[in-house]
Amino acid sequence: MKTLELGYFHIKDIVIGSESKIENGVLYVDEAAVKALVLEDENIKDVHFDVARPGESVRITPVKDVIEPRVKVEGPGGIFPGMISKVEAVGSGKTYCLKDMAVVTAGKIVGFQEGLIDMSGPGADYTPFSKTINFCVVCEPADFLLATDPTATLPIENAKKPEYEKAVRMAGLKVAAYLGELARNLTPDETETFSTPNLKEGMEMFPDLPRVVYVAMLQTQGLLHDTYVYGVDAKRTLSTMLWPTEIMDGCIVSGNCVSACDKNPTYIHENNPVVHELFKQHGKTLNFVGVIITNENVYLADKQRSSDWAAKLCELLGVDGAIVTQEGFGNPDTDLIMNTVKIEKKGVKTTIVTDEYAGQDGKSQSLADADQLADAVVTGGNANQVIVLPKMDKLIGMLDYVDVIAGSHAGSLREDGSIEAEIQILTSCNNEMGFGKLSAR
Amino acid sequence: MDFIIVTNNPRVRDEYGMKYCVFYRECSFDDLLYFVRDKIHKGHRLLTHPLSGSVKPNETPYKSIMISADIGRLDDDSVALIENAITVATSGKFERYRQRQKILTEEILADFQMIDYFLITGAIESAMTGLR
Repeated sequence: MKTLELGYFHIKDIVIGSESKIENGVLYVDEAAVKALVLEDENIKDVHFDVARPGESVRITPVKDVIEPRVKVEGPGGIFPGMISKVEAVGSGKTYCLKDMAVVTAGKIVGFQEGLIDMSGPGADYTPFSKTINFCVVCEPADFLLATDPTATLPIENAKKPEYEKAVRMAGLKVAAYLGELARNLTPDETETFSTPNLKEGMEMFPDLPRVVYVAMLQTQGLLHDTYVYGVDAKRTLSTMLWPTEIMDGCIVSGNCVSACDKNPTYIHENNPVVHELFKQHGKTLNFVGVIITNENVYLADKQRSSDWAAKLCELLGVDGAIVTQEGFGNPDTDLIMNTVKIEKKGVKTTIVTDEYAGQDGKSQSLADADQLADAVVTGGNANQVIVLPKMDKLIGMLDYVDVIAGSHAGSLREDGSIEAEIQILTSCNNEMGFGKLSAR
Repeated sequence: MDFIIVTNNPRVRDEYGMKYCVFYRECSFDDLLYFVRDKIHKGHRLLTHPLSGSVKPNETPYKSIMISADIGRLDDDSVALIENAITVATSGKFERYRQRQKILTEEILADFQMIDYFLITGAIESAMTGLR
């Protein structure tokens, strides 16, 4: 049996000042200390912090990652293994989480850098991160990364962008780990325990319940399209299995920030809603066996191998059902259908979770691929739906590229400061794990 | 695995043109897909997905696609993939991106080239292992 207890600290506000602590639900952040932490990486010249609260007239853009601070207080390993902590396997013991808040990294990496979070207004309904108090980390690249061409409109030299991407990614994880550490010796407001029996135990404990596995597809196509598992680029992994609670300790982190709406930032991996919902049903209506992770590579033979392995693992486990989620658009739709068809052909029933690109009128084919065996679908919504976002009083980040962010068009950023665009401009608006606040139920 | 990279991305042409077989064409995103379809009809097989990357068709003007160097019988899977890609790329839902390309700066275009370059680089790494 693998058991992890999560302790929750409900953060009511964040105050930037000269000391770091959590007191009476308020997170106090020593600005100088966190700045020194981020600037340990020579690729980052400067960083500034800001706080965005639900309901405020604040827009954060462009968003790179969103991360929930956590700290491992008991049990093997540490948070974000292989990235921040050593690579030791996690998923048991006790982990504390700072809830109702998030670390949001922002800053230019590429000109069409995507992702927008509105803390109020119509856009706030669509992104889940309008409901968290966001500690924003806005990075600035080092001088040696800058383009030497004086006419360049983007600061960072093209060849150096992978290094800067990594620097900003790690900055977010470091800050989240630093803030999580503040909870180590405190008593959480509440706790929740998650237990997964091993295969033999599960079949003995729940002989009459259907056995269900969760197949989590990870975005793995290249720069700004990558995901890391225990620090390994998932592009280079074979489909494999995890205890569900390993994910709660941050073993999967996101390096993906292209296609804002269907991005699964690190926060959503940490709080994987499919995992949580399966745990709610575990032992009652189903036996939640575990998690299969698989990737979404560009090379077709990689897709063949990964989907064959995902189906093979379902067959080997002898499960009755599989929930399959993907991340991304287009090419990943092919992986999604390949996984679904192959798993179905093993006699395992599937349900897929995906978003749609059905056109602004909703009449276009939603996915880039389809098969009649994929007949049980939960949708994260139509990413092409148009929205007008009113001007916000405060901007954290920069608006330079709003006109070229995916979902926008020439003239998206209007003279009055409002934005007309498709909802795919909003971070995690249509994420394909179903992590959101809107439902058509 | 012998392969050909079909691309309209000058960066891919410049970085890989001397190392691998690269067919560079100065054309639109859609026209590149049509060109690849023609190659498939002649017996080449697709080795990478035509809609690689989450940057939408015509949001980026650049695309690199890997096809087999050898020619064989018409491959049904390749036909289905390229036809599907063309259907998606030419559907009206991405029309606004075609218009938006007119306002893209040189630096943003360089970023799109970079993303496409890294996507095909990952595929080359897999192809070079001999994976088939």
